[in-house]
Amino acid sequence: MLSLLRSSSAALALLAVTLPPALAADVDTIAIVTPEQGTDFGWNQQGIEGLEAAAEATGTEAIIAQGLGYGNVRPTLRELAEDGAQLIIAHASGYSTEAIEVAKEMGVHMVTGNPSEPPLVANYNLTAEKGAYLAGVLAAKMTKTKVLGIVVSSESPNWNAQSAGFAQGVRAVSPEIELRYAIIGPAAYADVAGARRVTESVIASNADIIFGQGNGSSFGMIQAVETVTPPSGEKVWFIDVIGDKTSIDKGHLLSSVIWDMAPVFTQMVEDVRADVFGTTTYALALEDGSQRLLQTDHIPAEIWAELEAVKAQIMAGEITVDLVLEPAATRAMMSTTVAAAE
Amino acid sequence: MPPIFNEPFLAALLTGAIISALPLILAGLGEQMSERAGVMNIGLEGMMMAGALAGFAATLAGLGVWGGMLAGGLVGAAVSVIMVLFCVRQGMNQIIVGIAITLGATGVTSLMHNAWYSRTYPRLDAAEKIALPGLSQIPVLGPGLFTHHPATWAGLFVALVFAFVYRQTFLGLNLASAGEKPDALDAAGIDVTRTRSVAVMVAGAMAGLGGAYMAVIGSGIFVPHMTGGAGYIAIVLAMLARDRPLWVVGGALLFGFCLSATTALQVGGIEVPTDFIQMLPFLAVMAVLVLFGRNARLPRALGQPYHRGQR
Repeated sequence: MLSLLRSSSAALALLAVTLPPALAADVDTIAIVTPEQGTDFGWNQQGIEGLEAAAEATGTEAIIAQGLGYGNVRPTLRELAEDGAQLIIAHASGYSTEAIEVAKEMGVHMVTGNPSEPPLVANYNLTAEKGAYLAGVLAAKMTKTKVLGIVVSSESPNWNAQSAGFAQGVRAVSPEIELRYAIIGPAAYADVAGARRVTESVIASNADIIFGQGNGSSFGMIQAVETVTPPSGEKVWFIDVIGDKTSIDKGHLLSSVIWDMAPVFTQMVEDVRADVFGTTTYALALEDGSQRLLQTDHIPAEIWAELEAVKAQIMAGEITVDLVLEPAATRAMMSTTVAAAE
Repeated sequence: MPPIFNEPFLAALLTGAIISALPLILAGLGEQMSERAGVMNIGLEGMMMAGALAGFAATLAGLGVWGGMLAGGLVGAAVSVIMVLFCVRQGMNQIIVGIAITLGATGVTSLMHNAWYSRTYPRLDAAEKIALPGLSQIPVLGPGLFTHHPATWAGLFVALVFAFVYRQTFLGLNLASAGEKPDALDAAGIDVTRTRSVAVMVAGAMAGLGGAYMAVIGSGIFVPHMTGGAGYIAIVLAMLARDRPLWVVGGALLFGFCLSATTALQVGGIEVPTDFIQMLPFLAVMAVLVLFGRNARLPRALGQPYHRGQR
């Protein structure tokens, strides 16, 4: 009997050494919590669709908890963990603190906007400055008035990075093109009336292409683009971000800087399985198509071919797109004087 | 002046200022009447949201801008019935009921938007504008200040009507008595509950009109949470303006012009920190109303339920 116990203990010890940790093998359910419904053609919808695609790619089950608002999400996160989710995307910057608490409390992998704390907490930094650079090149080649507008709902780091990327793309084509930069409000993510008002003013300053970043408020920008024209009488185009609004376009959607989160979420699942979760910051990349420019019928074929060439140069490292996150630095890039000096 | 500040740009700024001020004027006038009668209507934001959805839905359904405005006003008044039942008649806490109305209306409108519009995001055509003869021809100022949808002029006219009612009619006197000394009004044979109920429902209708204006004329689309705190700004305007309707108009217009000024400063590339620029509307309105309205006081019975025979 004693020898049987000895040999069983030895066998268990051997198993413990040779098998990967229990956390690494147990991903069969992934989840996402979003502040709003996944029908916004933007942040929430892309997150949910990305998770569903990642679940399909990794053979896991997806649980969606949407429209949770910006209040306390601890109960929902705990419930998801109890329901078997081993990896949860806390898809709002306001969820980060609570998500990290629940990750440690329940032993579940959590993705937040805060710095990584391996092995349970990982950071994802979703912005697409390279895609925005391509959008800037596109706008610079398409504008007839030589005036472009950038309208944003806030000065969040993601928006700053893309505004700066857009400006760099424009300047790469022509330093003389004027950029009109306007912020609707401190956190005007749903302010459609404000977005329309500000965008109409920017168009009145003769901008014929608007690069709009606004979540819900982007619909106000689109409304302005669809209903007013600049003094020169040119048609106004809109370049969107995050999602694809082609299905509701009335003929003014030139393109969109798409955030495809599926490759990012897939990588997260694979990293949990490989026990390297949280050792890197997850980000959108041109290489895997997670950040890309939407091709629409309004973009001439020759310009699209040029954009493809620029994209290849960025991926090859021949063109460097600076990541600018600070509001003051972003605003400074809008100046024509600065561009000319550079 | 930088070349960007040409006539079309200035006209767009002025137009934007008036369009962003109108919802505040309408809702602020409503709140002012409610407060004059002694009822603090914290649910104004929720009533605006309900009015915005109703106005947008009615206009989209083919009832036109006026039909949309009417629908917004009616739905705003309907939501205010909750305030009438729980606060005016039952004497419950006006702050708590008001917050509940705002939370409830925000949730319900989000739910309805999700069910009706979240896959298609329909947008309305631009509301037709009418240029006031002569005035709209004034260089620079004319196109922006005097070319608007008639609903805009109607909204401004309502402020004159309110001022007339407060100064020249028994209704205005009754409303003031309901807010200052309701027992005296009761002793004079006027039903305090009925007077306050009418005031609260007018406030609801005005808030609904403000929300409808924002959705139908201001943005041409409805999205959840789109009022973005306009109801609360209207409450502040009403409280600081006390019982002077034209001060509500002035405060709201000042707010609107400052909003446009922030856009002008940004688009013009003026080197001022954005945080300061965006504080400008709030700072300006508070500074002006606090300075010039510092002697104003709120009604003595504001927020207090009235029960006959109780002191």
